[in-house]
Amino acid sequence: MLTSHLLPEAAFSALAEGAGRPATIRLVRDAQLSKHLMLLHAIADAASTGDASAAGPAAFRAGYALLAELQATGAGGADWLLGLPHLGSWAHDCLIRLEQGSAADFAHFACLVAAAAVRGGVPFELDVPVRDGRVQLPGLGFARITDESSWVRLCCDGDRVTAGRHLDADRRDLVPDDGSGGPVPQWSGTPVIRAVAGGLAWQVLLETQDSYLDRYTLPMATSLSAEEIRRWRQCALAAWEVLVRTHRWAAEPLPDLVSVIVPLTPHCDTDLVSVTTPAAFGAIATSWPPDPVTMAETLVHESQHVKLGGLLDMVPLVTSGAEQVYAPWRPDPRPAGGLLQGVYAHLGIARFWNAQRRTETDPDDTLRAQVHFARWRSMIEPAAQTLLRTNCLTEAGVRFVDLLRAQGRRLEAEPLPGQAREIAAQVALDHRLTWQVRHLAIDQAGVASLAAAYRRGDPAGALARPGTWIEADTRKVQASVRSRLLTMRYLAPARYRELCADRTLTLSEADRLLVSGRAQAAVRAYCDEITGTGDPGPDAWIGLALALHQLPSPPLHPAFATDLALLVEVHGYLGGRTNPLDLASWFG
Amino acid sequence: MTSQEQAIKTLIPDLRDIPVDRLAELGSSALAHSIARYRERLKENGIPLSSFQARI
Repeated sequence: MLTSHLLPEAAFSALAEGAGRPATIRLVRDAQLSKHLMLLHAIADAASTGDASAAGPAAFRAGYALLAELQATGAGGADWLLGLPHLGSWAHDCLIRLEQGSAADFAHFACLVAAAAVRGGVPFELDVPVRDGRVQLPGLGFARITDESSWVRLCCDGDRVTAGRHLDADRRDLVPDDGSGGPVPQWSGTPVIRAVAGGLAWQVLLETQDSYLDRYTLPMATSLSAEEIRRWRQCALAAWEVLVRTHRWAAEPLPDLVSVIVPLTPHCDTDLVSVTTPAAFGAIATSWPPDPVTMAETLVHESQHVKLGGLLDMVPLVTSGAEQVYAPWRPDPRPAGGLLQGVYAHLGIARFWNAQRRTETDPDDTLRAQVHFARWRSMIEPAAQTLLRTNCLTEAGVRFVDLLRAQGRRLEAEPLPGQAREIAAQVALDHRLTWQVRHLAIDQAGVASLAAAYRRGDPAGALARPGTWIEADTRKVQASVRSRLLTMRYLAPARYRELCADRTLTLSEADRLLVSGRAQAAVRAYCDEITGTGDPGPDAWIGLALALHQLPSPPLHPAFATDLALLVEVHGYLGGRTNPLDLASWFG
Repeated sequence: MTSQEQAIKTLIPDLRDIPVDRLAELGSSALAHSIARYRERLKENGIPLSSFQARI
């Protein structure tokens, strides 16, 4: 009788609240072991139906038999293998290829099982594929093969491992490289980081060679120098200390959530990109984080995705959710269903900065932490409301989001200095308005009708608003120097001060007034810019909204907050000379 | 039993104690159903191939 993995309600609640003790996380992790067995069974079916004599399927079957032996020994080698993100990633590729009707890489499985057998000292003989002059032992490293062979017989007698005439080594030497051992001929161990702090240990591989883990939005950094690996190691060790010291809730489950970091090659040095895939539970990918606190935040952020990815395999939380919506952390429209991952990650991020802001001593670092906290905690409720409004959640999904919202409200109740709240609100408004102007398409007949009503002096209140829909990049908004400056105000306060004093920056006069805090003058300058230019860019409108937001009173006119794209369109239709504030007042 | 003591039956069959060479004996059962459901989800979510496989 086949049973299913069970998830206690208490564990479900703990996960929804963004936490999860190690015992809870292990429930998710255990289910991943079964998932991998399930995928292997599906691949085994496919490997048995093709040409029985083909080398790839034959290698798979031999590996499968060895996995059965590993399971029988009960020494834990099978669980180690089934928990490897490398295995999940390869298995997903196989399934996708089989689904597409193209050839799957069955043979690689022999390498995966061989790695587990070498690690456990289980005797075996397997024919394994050689790729780019290497035999991969995922999770351990690779052996160099010095001729043109495409296959090699890998043998282990329990102590020594040989690969034809290319490798003859003690199997205890074929391990990941923690930087402390000497070289092993023909062997290259995967860099491993062993971090210990405050009684908690975390071991993580820095994976730069496994092709199946090169599956993120940016390419894997495959040619890290020894010096770069040393820097990654130092940064991870320092990040672990940050987590253990201040964010123990995140540190305790991390060893069960993140066992592999894939360094990414960013498009430019200032980009920080981190990403996770449900195909590789236990792996996260990130470009070089500039400091240990940022790396600690990245680990919290991505481990939230790993956690939720595992839970989604177990319990469906989202049913559909194709409707395109605003995600406060993305520049582009996103499907509503995908919002759950984002809001869950940002619950973790907000919690991280809430604790971090209390430990920083440098005023600039404190401001950065406070603004991050203010910004991300305020995104949780609106994003949760979007999820509920779009009916994309299952019953369990609604319960999950309700619990998550309660955590968001708890964070919202935390007191924060006014300056941090004000900067966060401004940056969030800039982001939301920029998104709205960029992606909100409006029915032009409705725009014409409103413009005609304005000309006649009819009250706007009784008129129907034109239909709107999300259309990516319907209007061009320049990547604004102003937006970057506003963000720098808390991300890099010292640099912000330098740049504000620099008169050579390509800012309009209105932008300059805005960033220097002269809101009233900025409002006048933006109005002049909008009415004085034949075709003012939407940037000036967003700037005007930001300047109005800065004024102590009256508060930002509602039309600027909710109907900015419509204001832009109607204003353009009227010929561009109408006073923007008069038009906004008319909208009411 | 309080609601917090109850457990959710998940979509993943518990295979941890079944040797891989015995999985086939489960035949066209709940396991096959779980696999089909997972493959369906994989298609819906559109998880891309690794860059390595995508180049092949």
